Order: sequence, then structure tokens, then C-alpha cells
Amino acid sequence: MEILATEKLTKKYKRLTALNELDFSIQKGMVFGLLGPNGSGKTTTLGMLLNVIQPTSGIYRWFGKPPSPASRREIGAILEIPCFLPYLTAVQNLKIIAEIKQCSYQAIDKTLETVGLYERRNDPFKTYSLGMKQRLAIGAALLSDPEVLIFDEPTNGLDPKGIVEIRELIIEIARTGKTIILASHLLDEVQKVCSDFMVLRKGEKLFQGRVEDALLNQKTIEVGSPDLSVLKNALERFEGIQELATTDGQCILKTNKEVTTTQIGEFLLEQNIPVNHLVKKEGSLEKEFLNILSEHE
Amino acid sequence: MSRLLKIEWLKLKNYRPFWILMGMYTVFSLSICFGGMAILTWFKNQGAEFNGFNPTMLPMYDFPDIWQNLTWLTSLFKIILAFIVIMSINNEINYRIIRQNIIDGFEKRDWLLSKLLLNGVIAGYAVLLVFIGGLITGMIYGHPDSRTSIFINTNFLMAFFFDVFIFLCFAMLLIIATRKGALLIIGLLMYTVAFEPFVAFFFYDFPRMPVEYRQIADFFPVQSLRNLIPFPLKRYGLMEVSDTISIRAILIAAGWLFFNIGMTNWILKRRDL
Repeated sequence: MEILATEKLTKKYKRLTALNELDFSIQKGMVFGLLGPNGSGKTTTLGMLLNVIQPTSGIYRWFGKPPSPASRREIGAILEIPCFLPYLTAVQNLKIIAEIKQCSYQAIDKTLETVGLYERRNDPFKTYSLGMKQRLAIGAALLSDPEVLIFDEPTNGLDPKGIVEIRELIIEIARTGKTIILASHLLDEVQKVCSDFMVLRKGEKLFQGRVEDALLNQKTIEVGSPDLSVLKNALERFEGIQELATTDGQCILKTNKEVTTTQIGEFLLEQNIPVNHLVKKEGSLEKEFLNILSEHE
Repeated sequence: MSRLLKIEWLKLKNYRPFWILMGMYTVFSLSICFGGMAILTWFKNQGAEFNGFNPTMLPMYDFPDIWQNLTWLTSLFKIILAFIVIMSINNEINYRIIRQNIIDGFEKRDWLLSKLLLNGVIAGYAVLLVFIGGLITGMIYGHPDSRTSIFINTNFLMAFFFDVFIFLCFAMLLIIATRKGALLIIGLLMYTVAFEPFVAFFFYDFPRMPVEYRQIADFFPVQSLRNLIPFPLKRYGLMEVSDTISIRAILIAAGWLFFNIGMTNWILKRRDL
């Protein structure tokens, strides 16, 4: 089922085109990463999809229908920073949101437990640490148990522990089968969480695809041996290697999907070549992302 | 409707400045109702005489004149209520609550409507205060014979409602347009109590002002509201005082009402939050 589709979505400021004729769609159950350098149009895109930024032109549809307040109530979203009244407690802030979303107050306590703020529920928002504020924002998005969640830079400004906490929370939410849109410039984060991703730069869509496929291109195996040239000669006879490079006293192999480190290890053992290093390196989205950006230079 | 009001209530009920300003206004409003006689007594004790006339004998608290007297006087303090509107909307702009409300499922129209309802409730409270204050002080200090006319001229209470309501909508427009709460509070105070009265005075009373220009001040945003309730106290200087609300003043005030709300709506619609 199609959750979201845009057609030629465009936002122009006086001189700047923040987003240029963006077409993309998101299917139910996707955890969709929206990637791009700062100022690439991620927040602008999400702002338009949430009706707080007026598109210059183009349309978008949620759940196959034109956008409406009712469709927005089916979406839980945080944009950039957590927005709450600082002098109200977590519970008081969530009551306002429950009224707007037209859902019952009963969800409030449960949600606060989910995001680990139940103990602090009656403290004013302004006394919270940044991580707690961010978690409350995620809680607010979860409050009405919406179909779709939008998180814009949810780990911005958090310490490493906070980042891990939020990431785990998002992974947990993703497991419940909800559709999630995650905008981030932290590629590591997207790689760990997302099923699909799109790359934006200067308001242009550069790429959209599955994270798995992108990582596949990046998979390598590192092999080290005291005598590098012997190792290299031997490996050139091994079937299933697409590319062979040497750096830092190691051979870096790009191989077919089926090739495992065990096979290479056994092969080298047969050849009586001593091996002091044999590691499979998972690909990183970061490399793929930089590739995509450089391809479009 | 009640949901929108409830949301406003949730936003304000734990906001201390709201209660401080409401309390201040309540004290000012009631002290005008009850303080008039105290001031007149003070005049008397100071030996002041109005042409041999005992000041406490002034029929200020007689029905039905009391409504015009008290609404005209309490209207001077409506700016305190405007501060509530400015501060609460300023918070919502600064803390991006408007934006979050839209994201969560409000229409911009819902947000505006909730603010209008709040303005209505605040204006209603101001009217209620002056009504209760007038009723009590009129009973205590007014001439007993006047009690048969309690509900005459209560249209000044209605005029007072519109006076306050439109002024609050004016404050709402200004804070939405400028987004600078602190500056606006100072600016609006200066404008309302000093600048506009001075310019209005210049238009109304400057001897060389051509006659056709004199009415320009009738259209000023604050003066136009002041004109809803004609200045009543001159009647105690035995001068003739209008005790009706002029249709022209109502039309001009209604013009400002539509302008204030319409402009706010227009800005909200166009603006990226």
C-alpha cells in the first residue's frame, strides 16, 4: 500500500530553490531514510508534507488522498527540535496534543513509559535534558498510535548514550510494522535503522533505493599475509573475485555474493600460504553516499 | 468549539503570568468600581468643593449612568488583558507551538479560532467583572430611586465587550505580524496610552485643524474603540453628554474587527511556520 507520494513537489524562496520537482513514494512498512548534507532540502520536504511550509508548486498525497487535518492526525511527527511549552510538565504537554489528535488521555502514561519518562512525568519540560526532550518528542509522535512516524534529525545534539537510546527506540518502533520516515545526516544511523533511502542535494533527488542493495556493492574481504606478492598471486587464481587491490600490506577483495571468508581461508591453506589477517568488511552507507554525491558532481 | 477552548485552557492554566495579569486586571477593575467613592470622599476630606457642592453627592453610581461611567473607566485598563494575549501567543511562536499544533492535526483556522474564543472569554470576563462591580456599588452608593433603572443602558456593557474583544484581536494581529513580544508590549503601551491619545487630541482639538480633518482620529485603531463609549464624566460638569452608542462608532469598530481578524488569518495562511 502506498503511504505517501509526491509529484513535482517544489519550494522556491526568492533566489534559492530549496526543493526542485521532487517525485518519490513510500510504501507501507518501509523505514525510509532521507539523506543529504545540511541545507539539502530534507526539512523543507518534511515541512511541506506536514502542511507547515507552503509548496511553491507540486502536490502530495497521504494514504492516497489529498492532505487534510485528518490525515495529519494519522501521522506522528517531530520536525527539527522538540516543541513543547517549557512551563508545562510532560503530562500537561501531552494532554494538549491528545486533544488536538483527538485521542484519549489513557495513552499518555503508557507512552511516557515507552520513552522512559514516566518517573519525570510531572516535572516541567524546561527541567529536562536534551535527550529527555527528544524522547518526549518521540513520545508525542507515538501518542495517537499513528500509522506513520516522521523523525527529523532525532539524535541531533545528543551524547553517544542518548544517540544509542533513541536509535534503539526507533528500531523497536520499526519492529511494530509502522512506516517511518527518518531524516538524518548521520549515515551510520540510517544504515542501522532504515530499509530504504533517498539522497537529496541542493533540492535535487540524486538517488532512491534499498539500503541492502547499496551495502551489497560495498562488501569487501581483507586478507593479510607476511608475503603480499605471493598472496596476491594466489588470490588471482581464486574464482569469484571481482576486484583485487592491495593497500597497507593487505589485499582488499571485492567478491561475488556467495564468497565467504571460510572458502578463502581454506583455499589459502591448501596453497600453504600463511594468513595473519582475514576479515569480512560490511559495506557502509557512508561510502555509497559519498559515491552518489561524487557521481553527481 | 469546546475542544478548542479546552486546549487554550490547558495551555494557560499553569502559566503563571496569565494568572498574575488576570489578577492585576481584576484588582484594577474592581478598584475602579469601588474606588470611585473613595476618591470622592478623599476630595471631600481635602476640603475640595465643586461650587459649594459636596463631591460625594455626585450621582456617579446612580443607575443607569453607572454603566457608562464604569465601562468608560475600566476600558482604560484593557491593555493588561492585551498583554495576556501578546505573551501567550509570543510563547507559542517562540516555542514553535503553532507549528507543532498544525503538524499534530490543527488547521491554521483551528488555531486562529481557538485564539478568538480565548479573546471572547477574556472580554466576557471583563464585562462580568464590571457588571458585578456596578451592580454592587450601584446598590450601595447609588440613589435608591435609581434602582428601577438597573437594566437601562446596559448596552454599554455590550459596547464594552466589543471594545475589549476588538482590542485583544488588535493585539493578536500585532504579535502575529511582528513576532516580537517584549518590544510589542512596550510599543503597544506607549502607543495606547501616550502616542495615539496625543495625536487624536491634536486632530480633535487643535484650533487650526480644518474641520474636515477632525474626524480622522475617529478611525484610529484604539481611539475608534474608545469612541464606542462616549466620555461620560463631563455630565457632572453639567455639560451635555451623549449616552447612546453611535452607529458610526460601531461601524468603524466593526471595520477594525474584520481587519484585525482578516489580516491575522491572511498572515497565518501565507507564512511558513
